[in-house]
Amino acid sequence: MKDSEARSDRDAVKIRIEHLKFSYPDKQVGWVDVIDDLSFSVYNHEFLTIVGASGCGKTTLLNIIAGLLPQGGGQVFLDDREIKGPGLDRTMVFQDDAVFPWFTVHGNVEYGLKISKTGREERARRVAHTLELVGLTGCEGLYPRQLSGGMRKRVDVARAIVTRPEVLMMDEPFAALDVMTKENLQEQFLEIWNETRMTVVFVTHDLEEALFMADRVVVMASRPGRIARIVDVPFARPRLKDLKTFPEFQTMRRELGHVLDANRGQVA
Amino acid sequence: MKSRKNDRLQPEVNRLGDLLPKLVVPLALLALWIVVSEFRLVRPIFIPPPEDVWKSFLGMSALLPHAILTTLAMTLTGFGIGVAFGTVSGLAMAYSKAVRDFLGAIFDFTRPVPVFALIPLFILWFGIGRAPQIALIALGTSVVLGVTTMEAIRNVPPIFIRAALTLGADRRKIYTTVIVPDIVPHLIGAIRVAAAASWGLDVAAEFMGSQAGLGYLIILQQTYLRTAGIVILVVIYSLLAVLLDTLIARLEKRLTPWTERRSSIGVVASIVGNA
Repeated sequence: MKDSEARSDRDAVKIRIEHLKFSYPDKQVGWVDVIDDLSFSVYNHEFLTIVGASGCGKTTLLNIIAGLLPQGGGQVFLDDREIKGPGLDRTMVFQDDAVFPWFTVHGNVEYGLKISKTGREERARRVAHTLELVGLTGCEGLYPRQLSGGMRKRVDVARAIVTRPEVLMMDEPFAALDVMTKENLQEQFLEIWNETRMTVVFVTHDLEEALFMADRVVVMASRPGRIARIVDVPFARPRLKDLKTFPEFQTMRRELGHVLDANRGQVA
Repeated sequence: MKSRKNDRLQPEVNRLGDLLPKLVVPLALLALWIVVSEFRLVRPIFIPPPEDVWKSFLGMSALLPHAILTTLAMTLTGFGIGVAFGTVSGLAMAYSKAVRDFLGAIFDFTRPVPVFALIPLFILWFGIGRAPQIALIALGTSVVLGVTTMEAIRNVPPIFIRAALTLGADRRKIYTTVIVPDIVPHLIGAIRVAAAASWGLDVAAEFMGSQAGLGYLIILQQTYLRTAGIVILVVIYSLLAVLLDTLIARLEKRLTPWTERRSSIGVVASIVGNA
């Protein structure tokens, strides 16, 4: 993709969120506002991360974009189509292990393709290609129980990207992994993203991760969830994990931490 | 070495050291039986001596093949219908609220009822014959399966369903690719319980007044106070039950190669108790 082309394509809005509200009924206090009047856009081919203290509604936001939760008010658009329910144009990688234990690695990755009735040959080709991308070639016939946590996460990612979704959502995907596995996966996922350039909405509570991965970081404030600040991340790509030790990176991380602290709200 | 053994699905029993403790109890009982009958400690009508049992076996051997086949056919038919009906209605109850309200009420109503108490009613309604006997076995097993199926579905981790939803699965696909595979390992336990129960139900069903089968032979022996014959028939029933149970256990391994069974019961015991 040429530079100018990339830029103009990037200015296009992929997801538009307008005055989003979400609340749930509570026996003691009536209605709890999880998200209140939230508006922002995600650009095409952008890697956007969302950070915020727990309870700021970031997972709820992701679930609404995924179509798993109905919004309480406002609207969410994907390419000017309003989102109503889940669809293969938006897939998700969850924090918890969501790999189906009863399918092999191949069966798991193939799942979305089978549902969208992709032909057998095309399916085999795409599964093989995606497994190569995530570094799982040769593991096709294994069951998830035979894999490590990091490998299962790779299967999860492969299953979500094999259908070439327009938007990939990730809900703290690497939070449950040990630090070494996590750093490797971050770097490798960025490589995959560099090749595919999907629009990614990535939720995390790890500021370092948020900065390392993103084009822009959205900092959310808690109770009710709203946007505290949106930060542009200037670091050039491709990024390697050494970046995290650079002073510029550390300075930005510190500033982001202050923003987050100032918007924590009264959380017990 | 030890850890390798622990990874096995079934502990090895070939070695004499493992086998010996398991044989102690049966051998001791056998010895006790011989001693008791040799010294005439109990009247033979209560505990017949081994040679009587053997003689009785020879005497009945002409009748046995037909009786075993009859019983086997009845039990397996009733058990099969019960498992199928129970599982399907459990799935249907989880799928649709209308079905749940309707069938659920029936299950809730029939579950606490002792099935054996229904025997006289069954005879009254359906008469004497195979049909009411099979119905009794089917009823007893389907209640177990219906309730277990619904409970198992209730315990399917929501994350799998959400994952399937984001990958484009509709309700039917979620049923066939998530819910059914997830509950199968849970159902196997219930199926084994139901299988064991169905033999008891068969005995009761044959007591209802059948003219063939192992249970009928038991009644016959009882009428003439042939205790040795009863012993033989009980042993045959036990063997059939063990056989069916083993078969289901084998089938389970075939059906669910994905399940995590890293720990055999021996590993658990070595952690929580004295191995």
